[in-house]
Amino acid sequence: MIEFFEAFRDVPLIRYAFYAGIVSSLTFGVVGSFVVTRRIGYIAAAIAHSILGGIGASFYLARTYGWESWCTPMLGAVIAALLSAAVIGWVSLMAKEREDTIIGAIWAFGMAVGLLFIHYTPGKAVNLESFIFGNILLTSKGDVIATVILGAIVLTLIALFYHKLVAVCFDEEFARLRGVSSKAYYLLLLGITAISMVLLVRLAGIILSLALIVLPAATASKFSRRLWVIMLIAVGLSIFYNVGGLVVSYQMELPTGPLIVVVGSVFYGLSFLLTRRKS
Amino acid sequence: MYRYHLTLTTEKKNIVVEARDLCFRYTTPLVLEKATFTVEEGDSICVIGPNGGGKSTLLKLLLGLLEPRSGSLKILGKNPGDAASDLGYVPQAMRFDPLFPITALDIALMGRLDRLKVGRFSKKCRKIALEALAEVDMADLAHRPFSDLSGGQRQRVMIARALACEPEILLLDEPTASIDLSVEAQFIETLKKLRGKMTIILVTHDLDIVSEIADSTLCVNHRVHRHEVPLSGETIREIYSGKRRIEHDRKTRHRQGDHTHCDHD
Repeated sequence: MIEFFEAFRDVPLIRYAFYAGIVSSLTFGVVGSFVVTRRIGYIAAAIAHSILGGIGASFYLARTYGWESWCTPMLGAVIAALLSAAVIGWVSLMAKEREDTIIGAIWAFGMAVGLLFIHYTPGKAVNLESFIFGNILLTSKGDVIATVILGAIVLTLIALFYHKLVAVCFDEEFARLRGVSSKAYYLLLLGITAISMVLLVRLAGIILSLALIVLPAATASKFSRRLWVIMLIAVGLSIFYNVGGLVVSYQMELPTGPLIVVVGSVFYGLSFLLTRRKS
Repeated sequence: MYRYHLTLTTEKKNIVVEARDLCFRYTTPLVLEKATFTVEEGDSICVIGPNGGGKSTLLKLLLGLLEPRSGSLKILGKNPGDAASDLGYVPQAMRFDPLFPITALDIALMGRLDRLKVGRFSKKCRKIALEALAEVDMADLAHRPFSDLSGGQRQRVMIARALACEPEILLLDEPTASIDLSVEAQFIETLKKLRGKMTIILVTHDLDIVSEIADSTLCVNHRVHRHEVPLSGETIREIYSGKRRIEHDRKTRHRQGDHTHCDHD
């Protein structure tokens, strides 16, 4: 424990990882509660995987045209995530196409595009591992700032439109009859989810990101039947997982992401046993 | 002829729904064919008829969720979509996710969504939503989670949500389709309390409800006929076993490869 605090004091990377973990936990807890409640975990997963396409494209463009200063992986990730959310939303709202088919297609297409771009990217080989498996210890100061800005946007939107988002999730048709543009709010929810997935991918990687958005909220929903309480518990759990994961993985030299996911999954499993005994 | 006579003699009552030669089809064939009827203010109307006859379609047209193919439909003198804010809608109960984390009051507050721009609901909105819950005897359970409520209680919350809209017309779509008999008796009591306070249009298969609360019925089987209550046995047979309906069913089944009702081998 003491080693971690010393590292926290002396190593900026540890501090950045710590701050990013706390700030993003707010977003994950709140957005994750919506994702679990509206049952769109599979859409979140597709968005997370399609993010690789944006990351690959940003590397390619930055190195080919010398845009390194602004064409960052984070920017590419945000654009790819929002595009995927828009396509999935449009398909499920407008076109008469099977939603699960489109989700599968976006999922694989995004990754494929990313891998192709990386293949053609000049210069030294791009290390994709940190994007696929994540590495919270690679968080830079810029990442922390981006996390704060994106998180603030997401939470402000949710605070402003909370009741309308809940109404659209619960009964889209009735919300429409009360003058709420249900389609727009569903797209907003997907957009918010997309931005959260970008933050998660930075922290935990593409493969583990889904667990981090779903597990805290799913565990929390075992203990409450009110959305805002579920959000509070999910934020608390998320902070606990992220910070705890960081400390333990530093101490024991374990990879952070997998450790967090394993602990989160165990807690989720325990929540079943606990609530069963309670009832 | 009879219908016009009726509107003339009840001149003092305002007409709240007026349909003239209303037609609707999803693809082919017509679901509603030249439906012409009126509903007067304060009436309790039950919409009855066989499955697939167009009852729910008619309700969706009234709500403005579907557009008529031809003919005219005026609700409170407005086009259906524009009148939506004056309507309270109670959908079929089966549609909701029973695990959704939400309280009875939160659901009733959805009736006030048109008054909400951003942020929280006003005190006035909360008061109206609580009053609506009290109207259906659910005030004590206002803060109970939806998942803890029984089927009948959930149904009453849905009515409270519609009442929180402060509607001129209350529209209910098969509200007793999935609830048991004791709950249904309670539900009829709730409706009796509301009867006369506002116009009620209720889609149902349940002839008990019809005899308890309907002033008259709209029988929908592609065409729409107005019948006064009580319904005669012959009328009921006519509504539910119209020749047209049987022929239509046979054709559909035939197309789908079910030949059990056909004359050929």
